[in-house]
Amino acid sequence: MGSQEGSSAITIGVLALQGAFNEHVQLLREAAQILATKDIIQRTWTFKEIRNKPELDSCDALIIPGGESTAISLVAQRCNMLEPLRDFVKVIRKPTWGTCAGLILLAEAANATKKGGQELIGGLDVRVNRNHFGRQIESFQADLNLPFLQQADGKDFDTSQKPFRAIFIRAPIVEKVLPHVSGAQTGQASLDETVTAPSRTIDENVAKGIKLADVEIMATLPGRAAAVQDDKKEKLDAEAGDIIAVRQANVFGTSFHPELTGDPRIHVWWLEQVSEAVDRRRALAAETAES
Amino acid sequence: MATELPTRTTNGERMPLNAAGEDNFTVKTGLARMLKGGVIMDVVNAEQARIAEEAGAVAVMALERVPADIRAEGGVSRMSDPKMIREIMATVTIPVMAKARIGHFVECQILEAIGVDYIDESEVLTPADHAHHVEKHPFSVPFVCGCRNLGEALRRISEGAAMIRTKGEAGTGDVVEAVRHMRTVSAEINAASRMSDMELRVLAKEIQAPYDLLKETAKLGRLPVVNFAAGGVATPADAALMMQLGCDGVFVGSGIFKSGDASKRAKAIVQAVTHYNDPKVLAEVSEDLGEAMVGLNVASMDAKDKMQGRGW
Repeated sequence: MGSQEGSSAITIGVLALQGAFNEHVQLLREAAQILATKDIIQRTWTFKEIRNKPELDSCDALIIPGGESTAISLVAQRCNMLEPLRDFVKVIRKPTWGTCAGLILLAEAANATKKGGQELIGGLDVRVNRNHFGRQIESFQADLNLPFLQQADGKDFDTSQKPFRAIFIRAPIVEKVLPHVSGAQTGQASLDETVTAPSRTIDENVAKGIKLADVEIMATLPGRAAAVQDDKKEKLDAEAGDIIAVRQANVFGTSFHPELTGDPRIHVWWLEQVSEAVDRRRALAAETAES
Repeated sequence: MATELPTRTTNGERMPLNAAGEDNFTVKTGLARMLKGGVIMDVVNAEQARIAEEAGAVAVMALERVPADIRAEGGVSRMSDPKMIREIMATVTIPVMAKARIGHFVECQILEAIGVDYIDESEVLTPADHAHHVEKHPFSVPFVCGCRNLGEALRRISEGAAMIRTKGEAGTGDVVEAVRHMRTVSAEINAASRMSDMELRVLAKEIQAPYDLLKETAKLGRLPVVNFAAGGVATPADAALMMQLGCDGVFVGSGIFKSGDASKRAKAIVQAVTHYNDPKVLAEVSEDLGEAMVGLNVASMDAKDKMQGRGW
């Protein structure tokens, strides 16, 4: 869709209904420059702001930025973007990354939502807790070790040598990883004050080769679980701690803001993931066309 | 693009530390960045706050009286009752801002103790200090301040404001002053961008702004923090006008709850700020909104009745 089959061009959209979308565009540009120096295949990257369905349809992958999740969700609903977004993430399963508010929107279940609940897109079988650490005066920065960066990109990306300085602004966390179910998380819907995303069936024709595996925990925040208020503690998985980055198939979510750091390492890593996913999708599409 | 706000936050060459000894300016400006492309609405009670949240506001500003009423009723206007602010905080999940009087650092301490997400050191309330603004860096809670020109904006950022807004003329429903302030700031930045370092030193003296911050601003081609429009925005078209002039988002004060159908107008202004460059969407959302707030023509007001002159 949009970009030509077999070409090396990839279009990345950043949902621009509200929030810090421009910061992502800036870091994507930086990341693409880094990739140009290390990649064997030269890509032509296009980064664009997405506000309507035709713009979304032209994308190979999408970032849902930080902002106010209630505002993004309501604006999406009123300009008829919620269903196209659900199709993008859950039916044709194109790679998507959500940061902070974006993670909330990509969760299949969420707590501490506004009165009357809020619409979710879904795509990650997790339950998030909004504003987990409290209000703005509880917002903070922390040094993170992100092993997935080093595995993929080697020494320069080793966060045990050079930690990733992450920024948490009224941040959510993943408070529970849910078992993958086909259909909506109905077990979660019966809980008080928890909202769930509606179920969508994956389109096997266009999303071939994408296996809906379980959720992988990509990063946790050490030493913070103890600081959680007592009444919330019992709701947390004992073994989980504070989960701040997760991935399920090609949907990725972080509760912090890599786009506010000026550190493009996660963006480089994500573009590489997208690059592989797009190649696979195009190869499979070409095979189908031949047979 | 020269008009992008860089992802790394800088405050000139200085990054002052807070009381806990850490530089938290990145965290303070971070929340302002999350509000970009959104609408912050004035509300006077929990019920209005819910209407604002349902309309898609990114934050609410809790205050006792909207500026139009402050203007009509007169008297000294102060920080709101903490009880009212707490009720609003308990009702909505979006950030809650509150106003303190210019220079009244104890009102700011109280608002920080309640846990509001942002403090507006605002000319809409009666100033409490004839010469000083609040030293904002030592606080953990971030501040937004109004400005009419570049010098005023940079003085506020230097004091620690993590977000700037135009002053406009609050409570009038007349957008002309917000436009004037935004155009003034932009024109001054454009001029500064073409100056040599020596010329910037002279300009810094003239506009009473710190040289480091002025140089940073000239280099960026925009203010180094998030900049919203405020003061007189009453319609979706007003909001989109301010966005097209380069604002990062919009405050709407009296414009919503002094109009005929507050909920519908609030939703329309939210859509207008997202789709500010799409006249078709703007036409759709501008339809059938009922009565706009009556409005006061700023051109026929006496200087003494204007709030924008407050602040130093």
